[in-house]
Amino acid sequence: MSTPAIKSQPIYAELEWDRTGTHHILFVSAEDAALAQRLLSNPPGGTLTVVHLRPADDSRSAWSQNLPDTALYLETHTLAEALEVLRDAFYVAQMGTRIYLAGAEDAIWQASQLADTFGVSRDEIRHAQLGTKARPVFCVHCRTITRGVHTNIVSCSGCGRSLFVRDHFSRRLGAYMGFQIDAEVPGEVPAAEVVYP
Amino acid sequence: MSSASLNVEIRRIRDLAPGIREFSLSRTDGDDFPVYSGGSHIVLSLPLGERTHRNPYSLLGDPTDRKTWRVAVRKQEDSRGGSRWLHEQAREGMRIDIAAPVNLFALNRLGRRHILVAGGIGITPILSQARELARLGADFEVHYAYRAPEYGVFVDELEALAPGRIHHYVQSRREQIEFSSLLAGRPLGTHFYICGPGGMVAASMNAGKALGWPESHLHSEQFLAPTGGEPFDVKLTASGKAFTVPSDLSLLEAIEQQGVDAPYLCRGGACGQCELEVVDASGELIHHDLYLSAEERASGKKIMPCVSRLKGGCLTLNL
Ligand code: FES
Repeated sequence: MSTPAIKSQPIYAELEWDRTGTHHILFVSAEDAALAQRLLSNPPGGTLTVVHLRPADDSRSAWSQNLPDTALYLETHTLAEALEVLRDAFYVAQMGTRIYLAGAEDAIWQASQLADTFGVSRDEIRHAQLGTKARPVFCVHCRTITRGVHTNIVSCSGCGRSLFVRDHFSRRLGAYMGFQIDAEVPGEVPAAEVVYP
Repeated sequence: MSSASLNVEIRRIRDLAPGIREFSLSRTDGDDFPVYSGGSHIVLSLPLGERTHRNPYSLLGDPTDRKTWRVAVRKQEDSRGGSRWLHEQAREGMRIDIAAPVNLFALNRLGRRHILVAGGIGITPILSQARELARLGADFEVHYAYRAPEYGVFVDELEALAPGRIHHYVQSRREQIEFSSLLAGRPLGTHFYICGPGGMVAASMNAGKALGWPESHLHSEQFLAPTGGEPFDVKLTASGKAFTVPSDLSLLEAIEQQGVDAPYLCRGGACGQCELEVVDASGELIHHDLYLSAEERASGKKIMPCVSRLKGGCLTLNL
């Protein structure tokens, strides 16, 4: 059975621990003090590994405080590094593990694709959108993904076409679909507006 | 009727072990069989006197063998005749009808490792799954439990598929599968499949859940043979029939005997396909299926006619 792509925008439920799991891996790439407090003050049973992607300054993060003593905390500073660390965590993980991905959509869906390669099923993984609403946008014409898009219209980083950013999201690609906006009348591109802060 | 039916000839009968026989089937029209997926079963229509008896059996051969399909049948002493007919009356050269394969026990192709467990005759779907995994070059192992050495049917075929990855548990030698250790410490992406007696299946599912395995990775198949019971009366509202289900027929069989088309897939209480709406029941519903939830049972609104019955009184169904 293959995983069908979500045809529209993902809906994110409130992030909660799945206490039927016996091991837990939390990947987090954005601040949310209230969520951190709520989750970490009532940790699930079994082992907990936290892979944290945080800026390299020494500001204090709610995710590194209040950690249960038994948690394994892994700090990373770039998304590439975070995904590497996460790959290692998945590699040694056992059945019974639940995976929680919290952060910007670009980061969590790249992490989710990584989990897919380990054969993780939907009932083992939860997603939560935190921080920026910027979208990864897949150009349906040249198949390049342009990342960190805040506007409804963006110039594709691959082919330079002006893309209209749709709400259609592909879970497999981890991106929203972008279609050329001036296909009918070339050159007629409305002004882009910031809609994904 | 359910899926399309094919007429086949019994080409070969082999005795594999005390009370276990294998039947090789070929199409009578000379055409090729369709390819099926590992874990599929077919339903055999067996001519028992003037009525037809339909029993599900897992296909166990090579899913890509288009000429011959094989099933293995254990003689159920207390059965109402299906397996007994296959053991006592069936002869090579006889022709019977079968329903095309249905798979309620499919492999998850995204799995990175597969643990297959068979108890007794439950080896039949496991064998076709193992063949499919071997062909895909997938990572798998088989754990096979049986009563005594002579009951270990197909061990040579299994060994050839996955040398060194077949583990035997022989009850007469007091060997048994410890599911908690079998399922512990398995890497992400592992899938577990079991076909065997009810108690064994339940023990494995409980062990998996206690270790935190999610439902999507725990696969089981368990067919119940319909048990007889007391006769009871039935009224069908849509088709306007009224009749009595005799003690040696299932409700589904009795409905079919009236010429009423009722849906089914597994005929073993597992798939949910045959579900019927209970309009009224003056008597106690005896649920034998593995499908309905406790709430659904309590509601008294649904019944799986392939295995379940009514005790006393009259059952009115929306059919
Ligand atoms: S036919 Fe599958 S539950 Fe009755």
